[in-house]
Amino acid sequence: MVSPIIKATGIDKYYGTYRALTDISLEVANGEFLALVGPSGCGKTTLLKILAGFEDLSAGSLVIDGEDMTEIPASARPTRMVFQKLALFPHKTVAQNIGFPLHLAKRPKPEIDAAVRRMLELMHLKESYLNRYPHELSGGEQQRVALARSMVSQPPVLLLDEPMSALDAKLKKSLQAELKHLHRHVGTSFVHVTHDLEEAMMLADRICVMRAGKIVQLGEPSEIYYRPANAFVAGFIGDTNLLPAKVTREGDAFRFACDVLDCANPIIAADQVAPGVAAGADAALMIRPEMLRLLAQGESADCTISGTVNEFFIRGASIQYRIAAAETEIVMDIPGTSTLPAKQGDPVKLGLALGDLFAVEA
Amino acid sequence: MAEIQKSWRDGALRLSTLPLLLLMGLFFVIPLIMTALLSFQGTQYYRLVWTWDLKVWTDVFSQVHYWTIMWRTLMMALVCTVLCTILAIPIAYGMLHRLSRWSDHITLLMVFAFLTDAVLKTFGWVLFLDRSGVLNGTLEAIGFPPAAVNVLFTPNATMIGMVYNLLPYTIFTIALSMARIDGDLVLAARDAGASRLRAFIEVTLPLAKPGIWAGAVLVFVLSLGVFLEPKVMGGGTSPLAAELIRQSFETRVNWPLGAALTLVLIVIGAAALTVAGAVALWQARRVVND
Repeated sequence: MVSPIIKATGIDKYYGTYRALTDISLEVANGEFLALVGPSGCGKTTLLKILAGFEDLSAGSLVIDGEDMTEIPASARPTRMVFQKLALFPHKTVAQNIGFPLHLAKRPKPEIDAAVRRMLELMHLKESYLNRYPHELSGGEQQRVALARSMVSQPPVLLLDEPMSALDAKLKKSLQAELKHLHRHVGTSFVHVTHDLEEAMMLADRICVMRAGKIVQLGEPSEIYYRPANAFVAGFIGDTNLLPAKVTREGDAFRFACDVLDCANPIIAADQVAPGVAAGADAALMIRPEMLRLLAQGESADCTISGTVNEFFIRGASIQYRIAAAETEIVMDIPGTSTLPAKQGDPVKLGLALGDLFAVEA
Repeated sequence: MAEIQKSWRDGALRLSTLPLLLLMGLFFVIPLIMTALLSFQGTQYYRLVWTWDLKVWTDVFSQVHYWTIMWRTLMMALVCTVLCTILAIPIAYGMLHRLSRWSDHITLLMVFAFLTDAVLKTFGWVLFLDRSGVLNGTLEAIGFPPAAVNVLFTPNATMIGMVYNLLPYTIFTIALSMARIDGDLVLAARDAGASRLRAFIEVTLPLAKPGIWAGAVLVFVLSLGVFLEPKVMGGGTSPLAAELIRQSFETRVNWPLGAALTLVLIVIGAAALTVAGAVALWQARRVVND
C-alpha cells in the first residue's frame, strides 16, 4: 500500500460501559473501494461515524489524508457521507442540495452552477430536475442527488452508510453497477457500509468483515469467499454448506474425517485450512453450493455425497437443490438446463474436487 | 384541491363536522353578530336603547384617544410577538440539543409556570420588580445604589409581564417543530462543511418555520387582548385596548361603545394577520422562483 488515505490504529469506542468497537486497525489505500460488512450491531456504522467525525473515538488514532483527525470536526474533514436515509434537504431544490457544499465554501455562483451541472450529467439526472424539490423525485433519483451532493466538491474520501438498503432489488442492482462505474471514474476512495456481503463482493476492492465490534477478516472478495477466516465469515453469504469434520496434520498437508463426505484420499493442502484451526480439534469443511455437481451413473469424483432430493428451486441461470444426506441438508447450485436432471425424492450422487474444500473452525 | 372540493359532497363528512359547526356557531359566530348589532344601539341613563344609528361609530372615529390606545396595543403586540419569537428560538433549540438530558425537567417546570394562575404570577413580578422588591434588594446587597431598577408601573414592565406570560406558547410550538426535524439533516449540513451556527441557519431554522409562524400568531392574538399586565405591572398609566373595552362595558356602562371598540380590535388583529400571511406566502413563492 503506497499511501493510505485512511489510517486507523487501535480504535476503541465505548458508549458508557458498552464497548462498541475493539481495537480497530485498518488502512484504506488512495482510490480504494472498501466495504465494511457485518450483521446489524457489529459496529460498522459506528466506525463510519468515527471516520466522518460524528462520533469521537475513545482510544486509538485516526489519520485521514495525512492529517490527524482527533481534533478535526466533521465540517472540516476531507470526508463526505451518503446517509442511509439520504438526508436531502427538503426545503432546498435539487440544484441547491447538490451545490450546498460549494455554497458553504463560498465558491462563486457560476462555478457552483457548472459543478452542479457536471454532477447532474455524471449521475444521469435530467436538467429539468434542477428546480424540483427532493420529494418530487423517485427513490432512485433521490439516491443520485444524494451521491451528487456528496461528490460535488470532489472529496478524497466518500463514506456510504447503506444508502441502497431502502431500494427495491432491481433498482439496487442497477445503482450498484453505477456506483462501481462512478468509483472507477472519479478515483475517490469509497468506504461503503453494508450488511449485504453479496453487494460488498460485487462493489469492493477489499472487504472488512466485522462482528461484535471487532474486525474478523479483512481481504479481497475472493479471499473472503474462498478463504474465510472462520465459520461466521463462511456462513455470512448465501447458503453455504458447513460440514462438521476432524482435521489432523499429516506432513505438510492435513487429513480430514467427515461423515457426509466419501473421499478416496481425504487429504487437503495446508493452505486449505484456515489459520485458526487446531489440529485434532473440531472443524468445519466449507463447500460453496456451486462447487458441487451432479454425478451421472458411473461417473466419479475426488469426493462424493450420496443423498435424496428434498427440494429444488429453478432460479433461471441456476437450479438449486436441497439434498438430504446423512442427517444434514446439502445445498447445491448447478447451471440451469431446460430438462430437469433430478426431481424430488430422487436418489442422487454429488461430486466435489478436493481442491475446492476449505476447513474453518467449527 | 380536487379532494377538498369533493369532500363537500361527502354527507358523512359533513355530518361529522356538525358538532364543531354548532360549537363555533353558538359560541363564536352568533356572539360576534350580536356584538356587531349592539354597536348600532345607544345608551341613556345607563340603559341600553334600541336606536339603530351610527352615533357610537361616529364617536369612535372622531375620538383620537381610542386610536392612540389601539395603535399602542398593536405596537405592544408586535413587539411582544417579536420578543417571544426571538427568545423562544434559542431556548427551544437549547432544550432539545444542548440540555436534552434535562429537557423533560425543563418542560415540566415550564408547564408548572404556565399553568399557575396569571394573576398570581403577575403580582409575583410586582413584588420582584418593586423599588424595594427582591431584585432591587439583591442588587443593593451587592453594591448597586438603592432602587437601581425602576421599571415597575411603566410600559416596559407591561412588556416584561406580557413576554413572560406568553413565552411558553412560542417555546412549545417551536420546540415541537424542531423536534420533528431529522437529525441526519443537520449532520448532513455539518458533513458538507457547515459550522454549528451555519447548519442551524441553513437547516434547523427554515425547517422550524411552521412552528415559528404558529407560535407568533398565537402570541400576537393573545397579546392583543392582555389587560392584566398593563393594569398590574404597567400601573394603569398607559392602558391597552382590552382595558379600554372593559372600562366601556363596566365603568361607563356603555355597551354599544364597548362592542364597537371590540370590533375595531378584531379588525386590526385580522388585518395584521392577513398582512403577515401574505408576506409569508410571498416569501415562500420567492424561494421557489429563486
